[in-house]
Amino acid sequence: MGLLELEGLTRRFGTLTALDDLSFSVPAGEVVGFLGPNGAGKTTTMRAVFGLTRLDAGVVRWDGHPVGPVDRRRFGYMPEERGLYPAMLVGEQLEYLGRLHGMSASAAEAATKNWLDRLGVLDRVESKVDALSHGNQQRVQLAAALVHGPELLVLDEPLAGLDPSGIDAIGGVLVEQARAGCCVLFSSHQLDQVEDLCESVTIIDHGRLVVTGKVDDLATSGSPRLVVRVEGDREGSWAQGLDGVTISEVDGGAARLVLDPTVDSQTVLEAAMAKGRVTEFVFERRRLSEVFREAVK
Amino acid sequence: MSVKDIRFFIPVVVVLAAVVRIWLRRRRRSAGEPGASGSDRPPRPPRQPRPRRLPGYGPFSSDVGLVAAREIRERLRGRIFRIGTVVILAVVAGAIIIPTLTKSTPQPQRVGVVGSLSAPLHAVVVASAKTNGTAVRFVPEPDQKAASDAIRAGTIDLAIVDGQKIVVDQPVDANDSSGTAQLATNLGVAAAVQAAHLTPAQSAALNNAKPLPVSSLQPGAAKKKTHPTSVIGVILIFVMLTQYNTWTLIGVMEEKASRVIEVLLAAVRPIQLLTGKVLGIGLVAFAQAALIVGVALGLSAAVGSTLLHGTGPLVVVSTLVWLLLGYSFYCWVYAAAGSLAQRQDQVQSLAFPLTLPIIFGYIISLTAAASGSPSELVKVLAYLPPTAPFAMPVLVGFGAVNLWEFLASVAITIVGIFGVARLATAIYTRAILRTGKRVRISEVLARNAG
Repeated sequence: MGLLELEGLTRRFGTLTALDDLSFSVPAGEVVGFLGPNGAGKTTTMRAVFGLTRLDAGVVRWDGHPVGPVDRRRFGYMPEERGLYPAMLVGEQLEYLGRLHGMSASAAEAATKNWLDRLGVLDRVESKVDALSHGNQQRVQLAAALVHGPELLVLDEPLAGLDPSGIDAIGGVLVEQARAGCCVLFSSHQLDQVEDLCESVTIIDHGRLVVTGKVDDLATSGSPRLVVRVEGDREGSWAQGLDGVTISEVDGGAARLVLDPTVDSQTVLEAAMAKGRVTEFVFERRRLSEVFREAVK
Repeated sequence: MSVKDIRFFIPVVVVLAAVVRIWLRRRRRSAGEPGASGSDRPPRPPRQPRPRRLPGYGPFSSDVGLVAAREIRERLRGRIFRIGTVVILAVVAGAIIIPTLTKSTPQPQRVGVVGSLSAPLHAVVVASAKTNGTAVRFVPEPDQKAASDAIRAGTIDLAIVDGQKIVVDQPVDANDSSGTAQLATNLGVAAAVQAAHLTPAQSAALNNAKPLPVSSLQPGAAKKKTHPTSVIGVILIFVMLTQYNTWTLIGVMEEKASRVIEVLLAAVRPIQLLTGKVLGIGLVAFAQAALIVGVALGLSAAVGSTLLHGTGPLVVVSTLVWLLLGYSFYCWVYAAAGSLAQRQDQVQSLAFPLTLPIIFGYIISLTAAASGSPSELVKVLAYLPPTAPFAMPVLVGFGAVNLWEFLASVAITIVGIFGVARLATAIYTRAILRTGKRVRISEVLARNAG
């Protein structure tokens, strides 16, 4: 079982610090979402894993030792702006990349067919890449990262621009790979999909780590959240003035409340019941988008 | 075939190359930019066959070999290669065949002989005809009247009567330079020598007389022609170097622009990728060159062209050697230039300064070949790696270079190749992953670049 560790990564471009002592890890068997606003340093981090950018400081480790060329042959990479020969046949291209990663000709051919079939583009094996739609190019690109059976998958925006079926297809493969023991790190701005696919997330901003942890832990951490609906009170006025309670949103009579840790939810329920019949009273998990916004604000 | 004949083909080559380039550019534009489509394109029309999958990588199992094999497969599949090969073959075939068609094959001269013709006079007639590029067929005639009738009937060209007189149909001025006048002079001298009753040794001395040495007041060597094959060779080297080096430049630029370079360099080292690329394109270039030279040699032998006479074979070998060295020198330079580019429209501005030494060496060398004398400039250029691939084959064609001079130039160029390869690899490694704007060479050569 592999383990990718990034320790103290620092990269400067002139006066700009793209990575600032960044450290986190990607364990095997998990899909890790890599989040951050534009320009946060996600792509630079991913390129650093493959030695595609020089580091001013820090080290990338695989299974406890600094990553070298032999290790990288067991990694799969999908760059943000894609990376395929536009005029080369899909099948030949995947076989070529498989062989560059050390596969035999027959194994590369079999794996190519397998992944194209798995991703629903086997019928385009004889097509040139630039003749494919964006979604199919994306699938072929993922197949290129997977063809040699990597132990680590690093994918930069693999879901960008995909329709729901494409997201399902690619997301399903990522989860499947993680279940099979692969380390999977992928970046995305589509936080709902990240929440659905990932066990863990790492959020960076200005090249620095700001949040990392399990999605479930992040969702349940912080102040408790309640959604309360009181019959006849569409503005949530019943909650105004309650000590330690902040109304974050009122939508169609449902008031979203953020409670101070010292506030007992039972007190809130009693206050609501005092104003009318309570038709809804549920604890709400923090959505990943909220975690993200709080982390990078 | 002379140098003058070959110069006729230079504009033809240029025009054909321009036509092919324009046609291919229009085809690319009409096909649209790669990746621009938003949806799957419809299947290709039936008249355009789908790209045929080529055999596997065969013996190319190393990383460099795999990269080289991919280059070979993609290049052989390309229309540019196929059309270019056909065009070059057509030009070479035309250069060989057309001159032989325009040159009439001389018929043997039919010489009627009335009476006896002594052996020395017989030999003089044969030698005179050979001087004029013809053979002789002697036809015995019983008397002068029969010989005259035969001349009128056109069955013989002239008659020699008793070794004393020549009879022809049309009047001949004894002072002109026609073959008949020369024959008359030569026979007269031979008859005089015979009448002088010289000893065999004296006769031999007369027959083997050599012209006196002539010294001129003006310095410089006498003008002599370069071998026409060397001119064809220089044109071939020019066409192939510009074609294949441009492939290298565009190939590197496309890998960078499409970002496939990031996927490739995640698996192989930059030096392996670069070496595989120039090796693959180089092998395609030499396969094409070998085909062209093979066809040229076969055609030359078949039609009796003068291209392989004299120093021809040596010039052919020299051309191939300098094509190899020229490609080996320039491929690194063009690859490094390709790593600086970001887009197709930057290719021209990057390639132009690199093309200047090629064009300079080509024009100076061709001019020297046409002038009939290798200039001092050409002799200097023959020892400079950027221009030696053009200048040295011309010197070989002139026969104006010794083996050690040839080998010295080869050695200097090989040293140059190593130096250029090292510098180009450093530039390539530092520039190939830089994206955004066109990379300046000063940026990649800075101490902290990377």
